[in-house]
Amino acid sequence: MIKITLAGVNHKTAPVEIRERIAYPKENLSSAVRVLSHEDSVLECLLLSTCNRVEVLTITSNIHPSPDFFTDFLSRTHPALTSVPLRPHLYYKTDSEAVEHLFQVTASLDSMVVGEPQITGQVKESFEVCRKENSVGPYLNQIFQRAVSSAKRVRSETAISHLPVSISYAACQLARKIFQDMSNKSVLLLGGGEMAQLTARHMKKMGVRSLTLMTRDPAKGAPLAAEYEATYAPMTRLNEVLAEADMVVCSTGAETYLLTVPILESAMERRGYRPLFLIDIAVPRNIDPAISQLSNTFLYNIDDLRSVVLSNQKEREMEAFAAREIVRQEVAQFEKWRTERSAVPLIQALRKHTEELRLAEIDRFSRTLDSLPEEARKQVLLLTQSLMNKMLHPTYQTLRNSSNIDEAWEWITRCYGLPPEILSKANPDPSLSQDLSEKSVLDSPVSNLPLPGEQTC
Amino acid sequence: MTISPLELLLLEMASGFYLGAFVLYLSEILLSRPPRIAWAPVTAGVGGVLFQSLAIFIRFGFQGHVALLSLREVLSFFSWSLVLTFLYLEHQKKVRILGLFIFGIAFFSTLMVLGISFRTPVLSTGAPVGLLLSIHTLLIDLGLASAALAFMVSVLYLLLDHFLRQKIFNRFFSRIPSLETLDQLNNNFSGIGFVFLTAGLFFAMIWSWEKFERIVPLATQGRLAFIGAILVWLLYAMTVLVRKNRRFRGKQAAYLSISGFFVFAATMMVLAFFSKGSHFIL
Repeated sequence: MIKITLAGVNHKTAPVEIRERIAYPKENLSSAVRVLSHEDSVLECLLLSTCNRVEVLTITSNIHPSPDFFTDFLSRTHPALTSVPLRPHLYYKTDSEAVEHLFQVTASLDSMVVGEPQITGQVKESFEVCRKENSVGPYLNQIFQRAVSSAKRVRSETAISHLPVSISYAACQLARKIFQDMSNKSVLLLGGGEMAQLTARHMKKMGVRSLTLMTRDPAKGAPLAAEYEATYAPMTRLNEVLAEADMVVCSTGAETYLLTVPILESAMERRGYRPLFLIDIAVPRNIDPAISQLSNTFLYNIDDLRSVVLSNQKEREMEAFAAREIVRQEVAQFEKWRTERSAVPLIQALRKHTEELRLAEIDRFSRTLDSLPEEARKQVLLLTQSLMNKMLHPTYQTLRNSSNIDEAWEWITRCYGLPPEILSKANPDPSLSQDLSEKSVLDSPVSNLPLPGEQTC
Repeated sequence: MTISPLELLLLEMASGFYLGAFVLYLSEILLSRPPRIAWAPVTAGVGGVLFQSLAIFIRFGFQGHVALLSLREVLSFFSWSLVLTFLYLEHQKKVRILGLFIFGIAFFSTLMVLGISFRTPVLSTGAPVGLLLSIHTLLIDLGLASAALAFMVSVLYLLLDHFLRQKIFNRFFSRIPSLETLDQLNNNFSGIGFVFLTAGLFFAMIWSWEKFERIVPLATQGRLAFIGAILVWLLYAMTVLVRKNRRFRGKQAAYLSISGFFVFAATMMVLAFFSKGSHFIL
């Protein structure tokens, strides 16, 4: 029986000091995969390395590699780690637990910020590296496909990734509720604080038409503007720029209101009363709260945005319940596929054994059979084959549907009086036998029907 | 003349499909995890509009002209044009939430059509109907549908504006399109409605002149309807003109569209229930 094992270190089990030392740089990932795939017992393997986690998943035959196997591997591929005891930080999961964990990671349910979209891409990249290193086989392929599919389902069937949980991103999402198309919108950044820079980055990603940065100190503002491909404007041009801007992000260190009702009233008139979205993330506030009473102006301060983020975090947690249920469904489907697939070499071994018996019996009666006319002889041979197929069919079904393949096999060997070594004889190289056995079984008359849930890998 | 059983059956089918679409759109808003059948409400809407198209086709063929002479015909054509416009919008702008209102109205309209049909099986006086009257009624009904759409997007606009100002971020909020989209749609529907209304009234005046040699009807109810029509036209003219003044963007324009639709609908109601004039027969 194929064994799936996963071990790793992530943000929940290890501090950043460990994680930063254990993470594989992109250029070293391939060589590490190569080392792992050359281990004797490893049939297939996946190595995932991000800033928050390093995880190793292996497919082996019959036994699970021990946790020490993984710590050894990590230490060998990270010489600097030899002095660090990894075992306390390592989590270790087997079979369906391991698959469920990987599915949850891919669907971003195990991320530091639940629902963040990057992790799915990172899993895909890691898989691609492993595929190039030929460490991917039918099992890993199946796991990967189902992991990506469950991540897609989680994204489309829950709102987990639609709810921003950072203040700057929440501001950008709110902008989408006011403006239809961001590509023709101008953004004015008042002050160059960290939050304003983050917002600027998000705005750039959203494809705004222009960014204007305004600071009191040109020496600080001009280089920052260049960094974000923004235009720098001095504070003296505030009224002029305000008339053009659709969004204003305020984060200066000013002690008084920079934008007051008269300034905004005049600006709104000049800008033709187009909607204006104002974000005041400065403390003390830079925008007079009375501005929110003006028509077509929408003012959000840091507390408003924080409440958006908090409510989104709660929503995400709620959504995560539903997402985990989706993952469980996908894991159950994978387990069904794995059971069916695990039965293939056993079915092949049983089939081979019974075929040998049939041929031996035909040989015993060869003299009688030879005396028959050719057509009758063919019919008798067909009859033996058909009879055997009919009798064995329920056994094949039992094997395919069995939740514990080892137990089922033991029962069958006892029932049919098979020698215990028959499986190892019939199946010397499990990875090879998967393909061969599948072909022979599927090609045989008894198994014209494909295995339920079977997919080509 | 009685209503054709086939037409009744088609209307019943259309009504059923509209109800299905309405329930599906409602579930998208009420359920935290709506069913994974995004295509289903649109498909139900398409099914409904096909059945209703056949019913309208049969009706026109049955009566021998395309004029909308009774409340039943006005309502049927109104809901049909609403759904058709929505299906186009859904394809172009993905304003799904509008489906909830459209199919709710379409369902109740077709239900009313069915109710009236059972109550009063007589279809028309049998008097010959000219082309001018047919064009007038069709244009006015299309104008009413545009006004209804402008009304709906305006209500959504005001709701979203309220949510944004009060910082209410509920499920309904997340499903409303942006303010800019709604304002643009309101502008488009008001403009289109105004064109239909102007053209419809123009044809009505020519028809009235040809038939009675006067533009203003003599009968009291007719005069009432005439005053209502002029009021609606003035209101819509104001909406369209006022939008040119940039101060009346967004919220103000939404209020104008809402009041415009109310006056329009009230005028139609006056016509439907009180007029004993020559072209709107209950």
